[in-house]
Amino acid sequence: MPALLFLALLVVSSAQASSLSFNRDIRPILSENCFACHGFDASKRKAKLRLDNAEGALAANAEGRRAIVPGKPLQSQAYLRLISEDKDELMPPPESHKKLSAAQIEVLRQWIEQGAAYEKHWAFEPLRAATKPLDIDAMLAAELAPRGLKLAAEAPREVLIRRVAFTLTGLPPTAQELEAYLNDLSPQAYERMLERYLSSAHYGEEMARHWLDVARYADTHGLHLDNERHMWAYRDWVVQAFNQNLPYDQFTLWQIAGDLIEKPTPQSITATGFSRCNVTTSEGGAIDDEYRHLYAVDRASTLATAWMGLSAGCAQCHDHKYDPLSTREFYSLYAFFFSSADPPMDKNISTTEPYQLLPTAAQQQRVHSAQQQLGKAEARLSELVAKLRDPGPLPKPAAAPKPGAKAVAAKPAANKAATAAIPAGPDAALDLLVFDDDFPLGCEVRNTSRNASRWLDNAALTHRGKRALHQEGGRFFEHQLSFTLTPFKVPAQGHLRIWVRPDPQSPPQAIALIAAGKRSFWGSGAALDPNAEVPPAANGPLPKPGQWSLLDVDLIALGLKPGQALNTLTLQQVGGIVLWDDCRLQGASQRENAWSVDFNAWWQALEGMTKIPADLPAELLGTLRAGPKPQADEGKRRALFVHHGKTLANHGNPELQQARQQWLSARAELAAAKEDISGTLVFGDAPQPRPTFVALRGQYNKPGEQVQPGVPAILPALKRRENQPRATRLDLARWLIDPAHPLTARVSVNRFWQQVFGVGLVKTSHDFGAQGEAPSHPQLLDALAWQWMSQGWDVKELMRLLLGSRAFRQDSRVSAALLDLDPENRLLARGPRLRLDAEQIRDNALALSGLLNPSLGGRGVRPYQPPNIWEPVGYADSNTRYYLQDHGPALYRRSLYTFLKRTAPPPFMSNFDGPNREQSCTRRERSNTPLQALQLLNDVQFFEAARALAARTLGECSGNDEQRLQWMMRTVLCRRADAHELGLLREALAQQRRHYQRHPDDAEKTLSVGESTTTLALPATELAAWTLLGNLLLNLDETLNRN
Amino acid sequence: MNPAQRCADELNRRLFIGQNGLRLGGMALAQLLGREAGAATSPAAVHPALPDLPHFAPKARSVIYLHMNGGPSQIDLWDHKPQLKAWFDKDLPPSVQGGQRLTGMTSKQARFPVAPSQFAFAQHGRCGRWVSELLPHTAKHVDDIALVRSVHTNAINHDPACTFVMTGREVPGFASLGSWLAYGLGSLNNDLPAFVVLTPNWKSKSAAQALFTRMWSSGFLPGKYSGVALRAVGDPVLYIQNPEGVAAPNRRAMLDSLARLNEHRLQQQGDPEIATRIAQYEMAFRMQSSVPELVDLKHESQATLDLYGPDVQRPGSFAASALLARRLVERGVRAVQILHRGWDQHGSLPRDLSLQCQDTDQPIGALLSDLKARGLLDSTLVVWGGEFGRTVYSQGGLTRDNYGRDHHPRNFCMWMAGGGIKGGVDYGETDDFSYNIARDPAHLSDINATILKLCGIDHERLTYKYQGLDARLTGVEKQRPIKAIIA
Repeated sequence: MPALLFLALLVVSSAQASSLSFNRDIRPILSENCFACHGFDASKRKAKLRLDNAEGALAANAEGRRAIVPGKPLQSQAYLRLISEDKDELMPPPESHKKLSAAQIEVLRQWIEQGAAYEKHWAFEPLRAATKPLDIDAMLAAELAPRGLKLAAEAPREVLIRRVAFTLTGLPPTAQELEAYLNDLSPQAYERMLERYLSSAHYGEEMARHWLDVARYADTHGLHLDNERHMWAYRDWVVQAFNQNLPYDQFTLWQIAGDLIEKPTPQSITATGFSRCNVTTSEGGAIDDEYRHLYAVDRASTLATAWMGLSAGCAQCHDHKYDPLSTREFYSLYAFFFSSADPPMDKNISTTEPYQLLPTAAQQQRVHSAQQQLGKAEARLSELVAKLRDPGPLPKPAAAPKPGAKAVAAKPAANKAATAAIPAGPDAALDLLVFDDDFPLGCEVRNTSRNASRWLDNAALTHRGKRALHQEGGRFFEHQLSFTLTPFKVPAQGHLRIWVRPDPQSPPQAIALIAAGKRSFWGSGAALDPNAEVPPAANGPLPKPGQWSLLDVDLIALGLKPGQALNTLTLQQVGGIVLWDDCRLQGASQRENAWSVDFNAWWQALEGMTKIPADLPAELLGTLRAGPKPQADEGKRRALFVHHGKTLANHGNPELQQARQQWLSARAELAAAKEDISGTLVFGDAPQPRPTFVALRGQYNKPGEQVQPGVPAILPALKRRENQPRATRLDLARWLIDPAHPLTARVSVNRFWQQVFGVGLVKTSHDFGAQGEAPSHPQLLDALAWQWMSQGWDVKELMRLLLGSRAFRQDSRVSAALLDLDPENRLLARGPRLRLDAEQIRDNALALSGLLNPSLGGRGVRPYQPPNIWEPVGYADSNTRYYLQDHGPALYRRSLYTFLKRTAPPPFMSNFDGPNREQSCTRRERSNTPLQALQLLNDVQFFEAARALAARTLGECSGNDEQRLQWMMRTVLCRRADAHELGLLREALAQQRRHYQRHPDDAEKTLSVGESTTTLALPATELAAWTLLGNLLLNLDETLNRN
Repeated sequence: MNPAQRCADELNRRLFIGQNGLRLGGMALAQLLGREAGAATSPAAVHPALPDLPHFAPKARSVIYLHMNGGPSQIDLWDHKPQLKAWFDKDLPPSVQGGQRLTGMTSKQARFPVAPSQFAFAQHGRCGRWVSELLPHTAKHVDDIALVRSVHTNAINHDPACTFVMTGREVPGFASLGSWLAYGLGSLNNDLPAFVVLTPNWKSKSAAQALFTRMWSSGFLPGKYSGVALRAVGDPVLYIQNPEGVAAPNRRAMLDSLARLNEHRLQQQGDPEIATRIAQYEMAFRMQSSVPELVDLKHESQATLDLYGPDVQRPGSFAASALLARRLVERGVRAVQILHRGWDQHGSLPRDLSLQCQDTDQPIGALLSDLKARGLLDSTLVVWGGEFGRTVYSQGGLTRDNYGRDHHPRNFCMWMAGGGIKGGVDYGETDDFSYNIARDPAHLSDINATILKLCGIDHERLTYKYQGLDARLTGVEKQRPIKAIIA
């Protein structure tokens, strides 16, 4: 019970302190033991007695007895019940499993004796203007002095710079930074060093990391399929907000209501992603109402935790037992989010609406010019098509024709008219493009990812045209194409030919093409059909990775007949990445595909089509489906003719062909320009608010009283803007940042304090209610909160203040006596010493090794991960079932950018207490486990870093062993090894050298760990021995801590 | 005593190494492996039990939880309803359906035709319990098994139901059953984690429902109580193998250097966390021996291997996982969870359920026999169940030899055996359609309360402060252990 430990620290060690405080000393005891039955929740209240306020506690009951009689413990029933020897009388009742210690009972006795003064719960009291200038160190010292303690001496500079660098940037100091600081002998050296880190772009990354835990940011939806979602722009916005030092009130306002402010910007709208970070589902059979309810509960609870330190979620089912928050009030808060515009089912796509596109200026310009190009190309094409010979309306039948011959009779005439355009007669060889830079017009496309197809827009990596189809999806990926406006038929001696390029770093195991249901494949049959008793025979080996190869499918050999429809085409691959390009249908005759030149043949082929093709003006659909009929409306027939001529027909006319090609290119360019624009999930309101009700006992399908958006009565009143019938999120946000709000500043300042000192002034940083722990230094918390708020919510200034304090700069070494007195360092008679967080540990290794790729922002990356982290849990159909590792620089990005799949987070995060971001988290544990040791010793990411550090050492320091050991030590820890350490390091080096000299093959093997290579001309045995030294230093306790 | 000295003493106590410095010799290491805390030569427990635990004498020392993910059909396995034959393809009476909510997958179905099980049931054991022909091996153990036919849960979809069955809550963030056991009871083995999870592969259709690491996560409890996945592919425990080119002797030498440097630091810094870190590196080193030894089946007798069936040799099979479960509890691991996927038979139930049972039935029978033969069944509680059951009516088309069933949280079957369970007992009854509970309902939280009780834990007293409340596995409602199935 840490709360009581701290209480004991305060009370027992200052027995002379005469005055007890209700909030500090009494409320925690009553809250823990009494409020469940004698608190705010009227429905659970026993004997009509409440002890959480003076009115209840001092009132006389029917028999005239009072729970508390100020000054008279022995007349106070509450006290007498605590010390009763009668089991029926004793409080708390034994079945509650609660029991007060003798010390607690004594504290209560003293408090009653001193007059039983109640205080409003401290956190709900308004902040008051400070009467004297804020002095963190003096206020800490005031608590230290009575215990015979004082602030410790300043830590050595080598320790300080590392402490500051990690606190502000999450990275270790570079050699230059270290040197600059150590050589700066001016009194402002520390402040200057601080400023350097405050202005680093990595500052925002480190600050954002903490907030993203609170915001529960991740890269997947979190429930059921746990598919990818696109919201990294929100993450990057948070980084920028800290880097630009956006005042915290604005930071708050935008995240809650950035879409409702007077002039919303893409940034302020992106910020509303805060309320889209919750987990969502699209599970088949899931009930919409249930999830709409759950999302609103999550959003309201997260808001309450993040800005008010209230565990409001409890009031979802019943009035809060400990805090003055009724169920009705909870649902009033929930009402701000219940009418959201996002659907209850996320559809398993990355871009579940509302989705904000975020084009850069260059991207906007590109779209604009693509649109202009397309307009021009279209005009030119129209101009040429207008000159095409139109076969005209079908002739009306003159006399009674043979039954069923109507269309047929009309056809020859039409054909005759059109065939003039065919270059080389009806039986010339066919070469028909199926797709190149885009799918054929009207094509329906489905792929494994459930998202839009990806086209690689890189001229160097296309076989033909502008871009190539990019397939990537872990174990299995496919595109299913269903043709609508292009009724492909198998030609005589027909072949389907497509170019593919397997990725050299992630080649697939097999590639398959399914044409009209018949499969051909290249590569491993066992990979393609893992359950087959006998793996099927392949058409050939896997095409060589890293180059373009032609896949050639003989359609007739597959069992298809000339003239047979080729309505579908499926492009499959098992594993890896493959580019697909330039797909063609080729054969000996054009007859079967006369539709591609002949308008009436096309019309005929599509008669009766049931699908609704894209790329066809809706008003022409009826005419198209009706087929070529003499009675067709001539205007629409002509429009269809033009449509076919413009978009599909193969014209012999080279000028027209060229115009068509330009038009298709312009279309592809516009598509590419649009695809290049990323976006992010944002929050918005539905056009009409949904009626909102209390969900009885938290059950969505048991509506109680109707509620309006509102806030808890214990807090200041909400100001609604004039003429608004209903409070909005903007009102809510403004209410939170109003100086009269007692919680926002306290809760936020406390979290920053926690970030800097390891433990908040209120240790329970998520709970400022009665069940939370009272602040260790209440005046300090209030003074900090007041000053910060009244001076413009300036976060950098706050960090400057905290890190500038003597308290922060103290030496962290601890004596046994102090450890006994204050094991958690709540009094701060020593500097904070904390194990680095998950991301810091990985980033530290990357930075020290020189492997770190410091680029900022963008889509999540997939660094090394052992096999079978995603696969055993992932839903078969999930697009995050198979982990496809990135290569190259992406492996060394900062951990903030590692793709975070919630149902199977990266091991370096979960192993080191990183939350899985399924719900808001305001404070991480700092555990110390053998699994952490195994990861730091053996994980390829860390071992590769050790080798790169070794190579750096040997490359950058040309001295002897001792100098090199000192160089490495200084790089890792910013300090020199002392004589004892140096002895141990020399011995370690000698041992490792001996080992590798005896086992040179082992030495070679160490060089193969990881994808980076070293260019140093060194014996492998030497590099291997130093790699183990790097591994050793990266595993030192001192390395894993900010000291 | 100065703090560094005190920390060093603490460290020595933890490492049980006395005066010989930090070098762990081969002898000492051998002594440490596979020994339970409390034995004369073993070190103090790395993760001891909470001070007030167990609350009373435990009947089970370990738990093996066999979770059949997806919702196994109670009607085709355990809840025998012979009279349903006469109801084939007749509509489920609305009075039985009772207007209860259905999933979106069948709520719009025009009719709800009753699909009797096409599998034959027969009576087994002294207790004469009816068991489906799909479970011939499990059926041999009915006299050791207590069957609860009246389990119910609230959630009707997989994600919340799976989260509930393991954490007692439908929303993420709460601690799993295994984590509670590890937290409360500590570990009996210093060289293996207290809570181990296996996720074997499965035979039926590949589109199985997902699992979620939150099903074995520690939630709000400290991270060290999370289940550790014992993996069939790659390292059995993450990062257990040294990198390429790092042999055991140079790893040991490096760890010795590391311990001395850390010890030196400890002397100067005084932070007891440094002592803990030294101890954890030593445990990591011991795990590098104990884990490979654990997963190495070569010392199992042929008779034992035969018992589990031919799949036992296939890494990642359910059979191999079942055998590993025995090896784990033998070594004092508190909680072992096997999560077997593929039990979500919305369609083609006869075919797919048969495949699922082929995967699991023989190994489960073998596990019970094997535990019994080694005298471990008395101290090992084996639990079997899914996150919910399945509807009596067919989802989609119903024919004489094919049908599917939708999710049914109103009643389903779970069973327990060993560790304090009264074998041969049936608890709870359902109506004639296996659609509603007729007698003795048992909420999943009651099941969890029962599991805790058998482990010596009062479920109302094992709590952890979370969101201002004393959070517990069994939630805020009143729950009770099922006394009728406890010996």
